[in-house]
Amino acid sequence: MTESLLAVRGLSKHFVSGNETVPVIEKLTFTLGQGQSLALVGRSGSGKSTLLNLLCGLESPDAGTIVMQGQVFEAGSAATREKAAAWADLRRQQIGVVFQEANLMPALTLLENVRFRAQLAGRDPANSEDWLTRLDIGELAQRYPDQVSGGQRQRAALAMVFSMEPALILADEPTGSLDRQTAAEVTQVLFDLQARYRCGLILATHDAELAAGCQQLLDLGHMSAV
Amino acid sequence: MKVLMSLLPSLPALPIPRALLSHYRRHPLQLLALATMIVLATMLWTGVNHLTSQARASLDQSEQAVAERQQVVRDDGQALMVEDFVSLRLVGVCVMPWLEVTPASGNRIIGIDPLAAHCFGAGAARGGDQPLDGKPFVDMSTAASAGEAHLYLLTPDSTQDSDLPAAYHLKTFATGPETGELGDSFLLNLEALGVLVLLITALLLRSVYLLGLAQRRDSFALLHRFGVSPGQVQRWLVLEIIALALICVVPGVGLGRWLAAGLGGGFGQALDGLFDIPLYAGQGQGWITPVLVMLTVVVIACLGDLLLLRFRERLSLSVPNQGRLATALFLAGLVMAWLAPSLPWVFVAVALVFAGAAWLTPTAVTGFANWRAGQSKAPLARWRYRELAVLARRLTLPLVALQFALAMVLAIQALVTTFEDTFDRWLGQRLEAAYYIEVPAGADSRKAVDWLTGHQASNPGMQWHQVIRGSTRMADKAAASRQQVDVYALAPISTLITGWGLLEAEDHPWETLAGNKGVMINEQLARRQTLGAGDTLQLVLDGQTRDMRILGVYPDYGRPVGEVLMNAEALPENFIARSESFSITPGELGITSVTDGLKRLWGVETLSMRDNSTIRELATGVFDQTFALTRAMTVLTLILAASALLMMGWVFFTTRAWYFRLLVVWGMSQRQVAGQLLRLALALTGGIALLALPLGIWLTWVLVHRINPLAFGWSLPMAVYPTFWLELGALSLAIGVSIAALMRRQLGKPSVARVSASALTGGER
Ligand SMILES: Nc1ncnc2c1ncn2[C@@H]1O[C@H](COP(=O)(O)OP(=O)(O)OP(=O)(O)O)[C@@H](O)[C@H]1O
Ligand SMILES: [Mg+2]
Repeated sequence: MTESLLAVRGLSKHFVSGNETVPVIEKLTFTLGQGQSLALVGRSGSGKSTLLNLLCGLESPDAGTIVMQGQVFEAGSAATREKAAAWADLRRQQIGVVFQEANLMPALTLLENVRFRAQLAGRDPANSEDWLTRLDIGELAQRYPDQVSGGQRQRAALAMVFSMEPALILADEPTGSLDRQTAAEVTQVLFDLQARYRCGLILATHDAELAAGCQQLLDLGHMSAV
Repeated sequence: MKVLMSLLPSLPALPIPRALLSHYRRHPLQLLALATMIVLATMLWTGVNHLTSQARASLDQSEQAVAERQQVVRDDGQALMVEDFVSLRLVGVCVMPWLEVTPASGNRIIGIDPLAAHCFGAGAARGGDQPLDGKPFVDMSTAASAGEAHLYLLTPDSTQDSDLPAAYHLKTFATGPETGELGDSFLLNLEALGVLVLLITALLLRSVYLLGLAQRRDSFALLHRFGVSPGQVQRWLVLEIIALALICVVPGVGLGRWLAAGLGGGFGQALDGLFDIPLYAGQGQGWITPVLVMLTVVVIACLGDLLLLRFRERLSLSVPNQGRLATALFLAGLVMAWLAPSLPWVFVAVALVFAGAAWLTPTAVTGFANWRAGQSKAPLARWRYRELAVLARRLTLPLVALQFALAMVLAIQALVTTFEDTFDRWLGQRLEAAYYIEVPAGADSRKAVDWLTGHQASNPGMQWHQVIRGSTRMADKAAASRQQVDVYALAPISTLITGWGLLEAEDHPWETLAGNKGVMINEQLARRQTLGAGDTLQLVLDGQTRDMRILGVYPDYGRPVGEVLMNAEALPENFIARSESFSITPGELGITSVTDGLKRLWGVETLSMRDNSTIRELATGVFDQTFALTRAMTVLTLILAASALLMMGWVFFTTRAWYFRLLVVWGMSQRQVAGQLLRLALALTGGIALLALPLGIWLTWVLVHRINPLAFGWSLPMAVYPTFWLELGALSLAIGVSIAALMRRQLGKPSVARVSASALTGGER
C-alpha cells in the first residue's frame, strides 16, 4: 500500500449568503496516496473549487481534519496564524495549483514566470528553460502571456507547477477554456508528467474523458444529492 | 446624477443611447465618479479664478485708495475752505472735496461728495454711482458733523497748474505708497496658476472619462456587432458628455463661488478691521465665463482627440509611445523658455515643456521600472518592477496630473514665499519710519532740521531724516542720450535706512554716503546703464557735470524709473525739490509733540502726514490674505489630484487584484503581499514626486526669472525651499500608503474574481 499523501476526514464547509446557510461540502472523507490521481466531478456549483481551496488552505473548513504530508490541520482549532503559515509553506513548496486561466503574471515573460515560481518554491531556477522545452513551448520563453495562445499559456502554467517539484497538484478545470484538441494535448502532458514525477493530482473537471484518465473518482454532485 | 438616472427609463426607444446608457444603469458609480469629477474640477477652477479676480480687484482698490493723486492747495499754505471750492468750480476746475475727520475716538472718516466726483470720470470717482453707506466713506454732511475736519480738494491728473487761478497750485495727495508692479506681478503669476489648475483638472477629467470608456468597451463591441457604426456611437458619446457637462458644470461653478466666498469672507472682514477703506472687492466674476470655459474644457478633455484618432484606437488607453517627439517637445520648450524674447513665447515654451513632460513621465517611469526589472536578480523584485511599469502606464493621466499638481504647489510655494519676503522688505524700504510728514509750501525745512536735531539729543529712541525728492539728468558718455533720473536725497543718513539690503556694495557704504563721498543707485538704473558698485556716475547738478562714485545698488522691487540716492548735502542750493518731507519715528517723544512743535515752527494749522504703520498693516493684510488663499487653492488642487489617483488606482486594482491573490496562492502570506503592494504604491507616488521636483523648480525659475522680467523689467530673487520639498515628498508617500491600504482591503476579500476580460487573453502588461 502506498503511503498516504493526503487524508481527509469528515470535512464540511458551508457558505452564508444573505440569511441562508448553503452547505457546500458535507462530511467528506477520502484519501490520496503518493503519486495517485483523483478526478473531482459534479455539476456546476457542487463545490469542486471550494474543496480544492480547502485542500490548499485558501479556505478554512467548518469541521473535519485534513492530513497533508503528515501535517494535521484540524478545523476550528486555535492557532489560526500558525495554520495559515503552515498552509502558505505547503503552497509555496509542495502544492501546485492550476486554474482554468490567469495562472501567469501578465507582466513577466513565460520564462520569468517559471523562474519566479521555482524560486519561490526554493528550487533551482536554472531548470526553468528546460521545463518550457519539456512542455513544447521552449521557443516562446521570451514572450509575454498575452502574446501566446490559451493552450500555450496553460502549458506554461504546468511548466510553473512542475518546476516547483510539487508533491500534489490541484488543478481546477485546467483545460476548461481550451478547444477539445488542445485540451486533449494539454491533458496528455499533465498526465505524463504527473506519472513521471510521481506527484499526486486532484483534477476538478466536467469532462468525463478527462476524469476517466484518473485513478480515482470523487463525485461531489452525487454526494450532495444523496 | 440622480437627474440623469431618472431620465433613463423615459428615454425614447432609441436603441443606441439606451444601450449606451444602460451601462451606467448597471454601474451607477462610474457615472457618479465622472459627474463628481466634473463638479469638483469646475468648483476648483472657478474658485481659483474667482479668487484671482477678487485679488485683482482688491489690490486695484487698495492701490487706488493709497495711490498718489493731485490736490489743489493755496499758495499761502492756509487751510482750504468751502469758498475755495466754490471759486475753483466757478472757473471750471474739476475738484472733489475730500473731508477727513478724526473723531475723538475711532477711525478716521472720509467724507466725499459723489456729485462733485463726476467730473473725475468713471475710474477715479469711486462711490460716484453707489450709495455711500459704507463706514469709512460717508456723505459730506455726515462727516462734517463728526468732529474736527480737514478739507482737501482733489483734482484729476489732467488738471495742469496753468488751469488754476492765481493763489493756488497743484500738489501731490498721497495717502500711501503704490503697490504698483509688485502687485501686478503677483497677479500675473496668480493667473498663470489659474491656467495650470485648468490644465490639471482637464487631465483629471480626461483620466476618469477614459477609464469609463474602457469599462464600456464591451458594450461598444456589442453595438458594433449589431451593426452600429463607430461614427454613430461617437455622435451619441458627444451628446452624452455635453449633457453631463451641462448638468454638472453649473452646480460646480456655484460651489466654486461658494468656496471662494467662504475663503474670501474672512479676508474681507480682516481688511475692514484694518483700515478705513473698503478694500475687499467681494464681487468676482460672473457665471457665464466660468460656465462656458468649463463646458469647453470638459468637452475638449473628454473628446478632444475624437477628430484626431480613429475610434478604436481611442478606446485603447495607452498613450502613443512617441518618446522622441516628446523629448523634442520638451527640449524645445526648455530652450525656448530660456531664449524667449517676449512673454507669449515663454507661455508657449511652458506649454511645450508640460506637454513633453506629460508624455515623457510615464515613459520614463516605465523605462526605469523595466530597466530595474532587467537588473534585479530577485524574482520578487523583478515582478514588482514589472508591475510598476504596468501601473505607470495604466495610470498615466492621474499620475501626470499629480505630477503637475505637485510641481505647481512647489512653484507657487516658492513664489509666494519669495513675494512675502520681498514685499516685507519693499514695505520696509518705502515706509522706513513710523510717520511721514510733508513740509508745507513756503515753510523752511531748515528750522525743522534744527528743531529735530535738538530734540533727538534728549530722545535717544527718536529717528528721523529729511527727504528731498526731485530729478536731474545723467551726463552720458554718449552725450546724445541724456537720461532723466530721480533724485532721492536724504540727510542725515539715519539708522532708518542703513538696514536696507543692498544688491551689491562697496565696503562701509552707509558711512561713506553719510560722509558725502558717493551715491547709491537703484536696481533699475544699474540694469539700464550696466553700472555697479565702484563705477562712476556722471550727474548734471547746477549745470555742471559731477562725477560720483557708486557705493552700492539697492533693490527697488519694480520701480520703473532710475533713481539716485544721495546725501542731501550734495545738492546745490538752487536744486528744485519736487517734494520735501521728513520721515520720523518719534520714539518716547510721541507724534503729537512732534506735530505740535512743527506746526508752531512753520506757523500752519495742519500738517500733511502719513501714518506708515497703518498703511503697512493694511498692505500686509491684503497681501497676506492673498498669499494664504493662493496656498489654499493650490493645496486643494493637490488634494483633488491625489483623490483622483486614489480612485483610479482603486479601480485599476480591481482588474489586478487577481494577480496579487496569485501570490497568496503561490505561498506568500497576506502580509508579505500587502508589503509588496505598499512598496509598489510608494515607488509610484515617490517616483512621481521626484519627477515633479525638477519640473516645479523649473516652473519657479520661469515665473521668477523669465515671466516677471519680461513682463515688468525686474526680477525677484529666486529662492528654493528644501523643507517644503520634504513635506511634499511625505505627502506623496502618504498618498501611496492610502492607495496601498485601499488595495489591501480588496485583497482581503475572500474570493477575488478573475474579473477582467483581459485575463482571458493573458492579462494586461
Ligand atoms: N465565497 C463564497 N461565498 C458564498 N458562497 C460561495 C462562495 N464560494 C462559493 N460559494 C458557493 O458554493 C457553492 C460551490 O461553489 P464552487 O465554486 O465550489 O462550485 P464548483 O463545483 O467549482 O462549480 P463550477 O463547476 O461552476 O466551477 C456554489 O453554490 C457557490 O455559489
Ligand atoms: Mg469551480
